[in-house]
Amino acid sequence: MNLPSLNQDQIKKVMLSGFGFVFLLYVYFTFFLGPLNKSRRTAQAAIADVQHKIETSKGETAKTAILERQAKDLTGHFAALKALNPEGAPIAWFPPRIKGFFADQRIDKVMARLEGTTSFKEADLSGWTKYDWLIDLPQTDYASLGEAIAALENREPLLCIRKLNIHLTAQEPQFQQVTIAATTAIEKR
Amino acid sequence: MALHLNLLHEQIFEQRQRQRDPLKIGILLLAGCGALLFLYYGWNAYRTLQTKVRQSAIERDWTKIEPAVTAAQKRAAELTSMINTLRVLDNYIDNRFLWAPFLEKISRCVAPNAQLTAIEGTVQEDNKGVTANIEGVAAAREPRSAAEDFRQMLLEQLGQDYRDVKVEFKALEEVESTTKIDGTAMPMAHYIIAVTFTLNSVPKPGAPSAPIKAKK
Repeated sequence: MNLPSLNQDQIKKVMLSGFGFVFLLYVYFTFFLGPLNKSRRTAQAAIADVQHKIETSKGETAKTAILERQAKDLTGHFAALKALNPEGAPIAWFPPRIKGFFADQRIDKVMARLEGTTSFKEADLSGWTKYDWLIDLPQTDYASLGEAIAALENREPLLCIRKLNIHLTAQEPQFQQVTIAATTAIEKR
Repeated sequence: MALHLNLLHEQIFEQRQRQRDPLKIGILLLAGCGALLFLYYGWNAYRTLQTKVRQSAIERDWTKIEPAVTAAQKRAAELTSMINTLRVLDNYIDNRFLWAPFLEKISRCVAPNAQLTAIEGTVQEDNKGVTANIEGVAAAREPRSAAEDFRQMLLEQLGQDYRDVKVEFKALEEVESTTKIDGTAMPMAHYIIAVTFTLNSVPKPGAPSAPIKAKK
């Protein structure tokens, strides 16, 4: 190729044009196209994020609806279990309740006292506490005791008898003296 | 050949020089590139604007549904927690050792010539097993065999509902006192029986269970 020979002045002008071109490209990419693309990428990322949230939320809502249907009966059952224990400190209502229960079973002079409380090991029962009670039945007969314990185990599903001691009373051998160590699960309030 | 003189040579040369001016060509090229870059920028700006509009629309949608989603998530967490708690509570209830059936079984085993004086029972910590000591007296011509009959009967009865049943004498000794049965004086034996077993299937309590209903 036969390029025209350039004089000194023309070479300067070519170089100036080259610098101008490079400067134009620098300004264009750094101050115009770069920020614009960055802004678009940020917006796209935000869109993807929100879309993901919307997609997930659809699943969450559906899952909750299914869970709600499944838990319909369980909710009632759970409410019933919670309702077994009234409001207030258990030491205030449990001993009178037990005394009343055994009185209904024709066993009088029953004493119930709190031995201690412990937490459940299970993480799911972190909102519940174990109350250990000692229940003294100073005088009862074996048949009444059996019926009373059967009724107690039916009526108090959250009560668990850990120890049972039955002894003859010294004065009246037809009667027994009974000590029951029981644990109840009571919700923390 | 005739001599031909170009008297405009200098003017033509200058005009050609002006046309080939590198600065002018550079400016033209620069302007062309600038126009292309501007068009490309415009296209990108349009796309960015579209993306922003879409982002605004999606964020508006999300703002609308977000409270419902948050409420659903909270409710799901509550329900999951409730279900898990209920599962553990049901296990707690189902794994209880029920004493009433056990006492009933003991009462079935006591013959008229035997008397129990003490029962001490304990449920093991993990609700897996039960240990009990049963103390009493038996009266018969052979009081030891009367006590053995009671032990055998107890073993048979408990074996129906529990696993790994062991019913063993801890003590069995004849006592000096006698008791009258049908007008006949009979020798007596005092015994202590140790009972251990593990829970198989939990027998239902004696009376039918009333359904649990929430208090109103």
